[in-house]
Amino acid sequence: MQRILLLLLTVLPLIARAQEKHTVSGYIKDRSNGEALIGATVYIQSLGTGTISNEYGFYSLTLPAGTYQLSYAYLGYKTQSVALDFTKNTRLDLELEPESSQLQEVVVTGEAEQPAAQTNEMSTSKLDIRTIMKVPAFLGEVDVLRSLQLLPGVSTVGEGASGFNVRGGSVGQNLILLDEAPVYNSSHLFGFFSVFNPDAVKDTKLYKGAVPSRYGGRLASLLDVRMKEGNSKKTEVTGGIGTIFSRLVVEGPIKKDKASFIVAARRSYVDILARPFVPLLKEGGALNFYDLTLKTNYNINARNKVYLSGYFGRDNFLFDKSQGFSWGNATSSLRWNHLFNDRLFSNATLVYSKYDYKLQFGNDDKNRFNWNSSITNFIFKPDFSYFINRTNELNFGGEIIYYTFEPANAYGITNGKKVDISLPRKYNLESSLYAGNSLKLSPALSIDYGVRYSHFNYLGPGTEYFYNDTVPGIRKSVTGSKTYTSGQTIKTYDNFQPRFSFKAQLSEFTSVKGSYNRMVQYLHLISNTTASNPLDVWTPSTRNIRPELGDQYTLGYFRSAGTGQQYEFSAEAYLRYTQNQIDYIDGADLLINRFLEGDLLSGKGRAYGMEFYAQKKTGRLNGWVSYTLGRTELKVDGINKGDWYPTRYNQTHNLKIAAFYELNNRWSVSGNFIFTSGTPTTFPTSRFYQQGILIPYNANESRNNVTLPAYHRLDISFRLEGKTMRKGKERRNHDYWVFSIYNLYARKNPFSIYFSQKDDRISTDTQATQLSIIGTMVPSVSYNFKF
Amino acid sequence: MKPNSRYILASLAAAALFSSCEQVISPRLQQANPVVVVDAWINNQQETQKIYLYESQPYFDNSTPQPLTGASVLVVNQTQSKTYTFSEAPGGAYLWTPAVADELGVAGDQFSLAIQYGGQTFSSVSRMGRVPAIDSITFKKDKRIGTGTEIFLGEFWATDPVGGGDTYWIRTTKNGTLLNKPSELVLAYDAGFSAGSLTDGVTFISPIRTGINPNETAQNGKEPPSPYTPGDSVHVRIYSITLAAFNFLTEVSTQTNRPGGFAELFSTPLANVSTNITTSGNQSGAVGFFNVSAVSQRGQKFVPKP
Repeated sequence: MQRILLLLLTVLPLIARAQEKHTVSGYIKDRSNGEALIGATVYIQSLGTGTISNEYGFYSLTLPAGTYQLSYAYLGYKTQSVALDFTKNTRLDLELEPESSQLQEVVVTGEAEQPAAQTNEMSTSKLDIRTIMKVPAFLGEVDVLRSLQLLPGVSTVGEGASGFNVRGGSVGQNLILLDEAPVYNSSHLFGFFSVFNPDAVKDTKLYKGAVPSRYGGRLASLLDVRMKEGNSKKTEVTGGIGTIFSRLVVEGPIKKDKASFIVAARRSYVDILARPFVPLLKEGGALNFYDLTLKTNYNINARNKVYLSGYFGRDNFLFDKSQGFSWGNATSSLRWNHLFNDRLFSNATLVYSKYDYKLQFGNDDKNRFNWNSSITNFIFKPDFSYFINRTNELNFGGEIIYYTFEPANAYGITNGKKVDISLPRKYNLESSLYAGNSLKLSPALSIDYGVRYSHFNYLGPGTEYFYNDTVPGIRKSVTGSKTYTSGQTIKTYDNFQPRFSFKAQLSEFTSVKGSYNRMVQYLHLISNTTASNPLDVWTPSTRNIRPELGDQYTLGYFRSAGTGQQYEFSAEAYLRYTQNQIDYIDGADLLINRFLEGDLLSGKGRAYGMEFYAQKKTGRLNGWVSYTLGRTELKVDGINKGDWYPTRYNQTHNLKIAAFYELNNRWSVSGNFIFTSGTPTTFPTSRFYQQGILIPYNANESRNNVTLPAYHRLDISFRLEGKTMRKGKERRNHDYWVFSIYNLYARKNPFSIYFSQKDDRISTDTQATQLSIIGTMVPSVSYNFKF
Repeated sequence: MKPNSRYILASLAAAALFSSCEQVISPRLQQANPVVVVDAWINNQQETQKIYLYESQPYFDNSTPQPLTGASVLVVNQTQSKTYTFSEAPGGAYLWTPAVADELGVAGDQFSLAIQYGGQTFSSVSRMGRVPAIDSITFKKDKRIGTGTEIFLGEFWATDPVGGGDTYWIRTTKNGTLLNKPSELVLAYDAGFSAGSLTDGVTFISPIRTGINPNETAQNGKEPPSPYTPGDSVHVRIYSITLAAFNFLTEVSTQTNRPGGFAELFSTPLANVSTNITTSGNQSGAVGFFNVSAVSQRGQKFVPKP
């Protein structure tokens, strides 16, 4: 590994040598609030080239000596042109002014943003928070993860299911980062709402493939959620009152243009409203969820900036004072941007992240049950970007993650006798080194290549178990064990993960891109239920659970057209092979099981499909159409007679349409329509009695042998802007109402079909029941303000 | 002791905010040939022991299953070298009634089952496990979760004998009706729910002790009645079962206890339950289970204390 890095570092600057060159670099920000703009373009018309700002708004562009006209642009902002004489290195921090009008039609500017056909990236989806805010939302609650599900390649197993599936990957194969801190459970109230407060989110980006070498750890996708830094110009209060949550955000400068902060809080208040009517809540029960997001930054000097962000969220479900459960994430990240020089940008991040849940049953001291479980991470991640010249960029760094798994800290008391059933903790260290190089070989051909090397260490103290070989599908028994002391290595894994992508520019606005990458996943979400649930266990790789490996190939065609390139079109094909996929024996015992590994099965997977995406970015009517044709399957010894079977989240067709229309200055309307094929499920063929109970039986022993009926749904929402003038004077406050209807034509979309005997003690009748999680239309209203 | 995940998830579901929507449908199912069903759960009590032989039937066929007639059914107590011949009765039943002071065996005895039918032999083995005595059955006042309504809960008291790995099926009869809904299936591994519970040699844990309460669902929006009211009588039996039978019944519970609603979010895929019946010859196999239990029992009438 070191040799490769060394090679990269010595060879690349050679490619970069040339005539005298100078660099312009700096930060691009929003003039109105000082927020860094991620992905803003700096473009030089005369050279037909440019760069984009990184996650901190930083850009660096090195050009041969000369005079150039630089255009700084970002969608929804006025483009600024700067004439610059490249005779020396220049620091140029720039603030772009947002388009003043609400109406998108005036946004049509010269080159609003670099068209997708021109960037090297593929298989990524970016959702601007302004777009997310416009999508009609369930119960009027704007939601980052639900909006994401309108994009190609992203699906869900059904309403209320937590998480999302990307290109046929499972929920546990997505890495969700909030300001670089991993979030292990992204949902409030199972899967109805996500943990991200939209008022505090700046930008989200989903990598479905062609993942750069700086990221790793999950097979299917990486969701990068970036929080706002807080208004550095003036103090602002925004908030909203919705059907489920009420929200409040305070942000402002601590020291103007030097330091700012943002504090955002949300709490559900159904329980407060319902308390007088619901005995459970009067008796000390609780049903609520809340989250708190904090961030502050300090601009030490032109070369140094620090950011501190934190998140804390919790769901509480208590039946009475002493029974119930709760779960939540806590994360914090400290980041330091340092400029070594105007071409070498670095960021070092320290992260703490914890997910835990608690469960308590029994309301007397002689009979009770208590269970706490958690996963804790400490992460250190230094990252360097070296902008060698305008055709060559090097990114390298490392990542160290220390995990502590606490599967069960649990005890039970029965009739006064206490039994401790805790499982031992597991400790792991995952270390990675990576380097990636973006190279523009010619105006028509660019490549990105890199490698990520990771080393996983399962550390003592701990016990590893050996299991017998048995018929696949039957519980394996322990044949022996070996105990290790603190700090001893129990098992290690090493993996090289090559990453490669290319872009062939067919014309200025047309390109073909392709990629190959390998991803490795050392953590496994253990879940055999239809939707993952808050009590699902994450478990690390051991001798018996091997790391999951995924190889993905993609090929895509990208094109933009129209005035200001406002139309974008893309078509991408993907193919992914995965190894060491986990499935479960029938009747697997996944909770507090010391010998969990004996209940796991291992197999391989394949997922393939085509994604089509067409977007109209600006204008009074804008929006997109996304269609995915896909299939995802597993082959596991012991299931489906060892043949390939579709996963529970397999969807053949997945069509989504999102449209936004400005009616006039105050009213706007948005709608989205979703049509997806039904997901697979297993039907029985027969039944038989056993001691009076009717048991379903599938004579073909098949898994997921039928598909549920198709799912479709239309949502619509109207937004009414508050008056901007009052009594001839401009109002200081800005406010708006959102009226929305989810599932407008009240379709009873099937979530599942289940088979059961009728609810009698001596039953002769069996039946099939189709369940819709939300079988009606759901209207809602919310009021939002800013002052 | 460790919570049964289904128990947790069902309560999760109950706590959900929204109401789901269900309708009974009649989807088309794949065709399948019938297979032999062996329903052989016998015990050491002084009562007629019954083994049933049927054919499996299409899932939506609500008629009485086709009995298998003309079979020979033998149970052998291998430890005591005794053979019991079960004789045919109508409806696929094969019966053996012990003479006075006769029984199938005692805890620790090894048994085998041999069925000859249609040129095939179906066989199995089982071991009779031990069973603890039921010390008492009590009734207590409680409040129903969610509504706070006052109810009476029944509870039996027994202690798992020292020595890990005992497995039981607890079956309750209330006012003469066997509580036999899938949701009323109560199993115990030692005194808890599963091996990981580490509950050897202690009093059965509270959710098992109160597992003798009927599970009634709300009808027409009306709250179900109190599980027990004064005057009710309850009869509890603990059957010892083999570990294989415990696993089998756990699977049966997973596959048949479908409360619907939000619990469906957390349901596991439909899968075939296991069997301990082996088939000779190259015909298709059989389904079902053979288990020989020792039984302890106690009855109690609910007479409130004055």
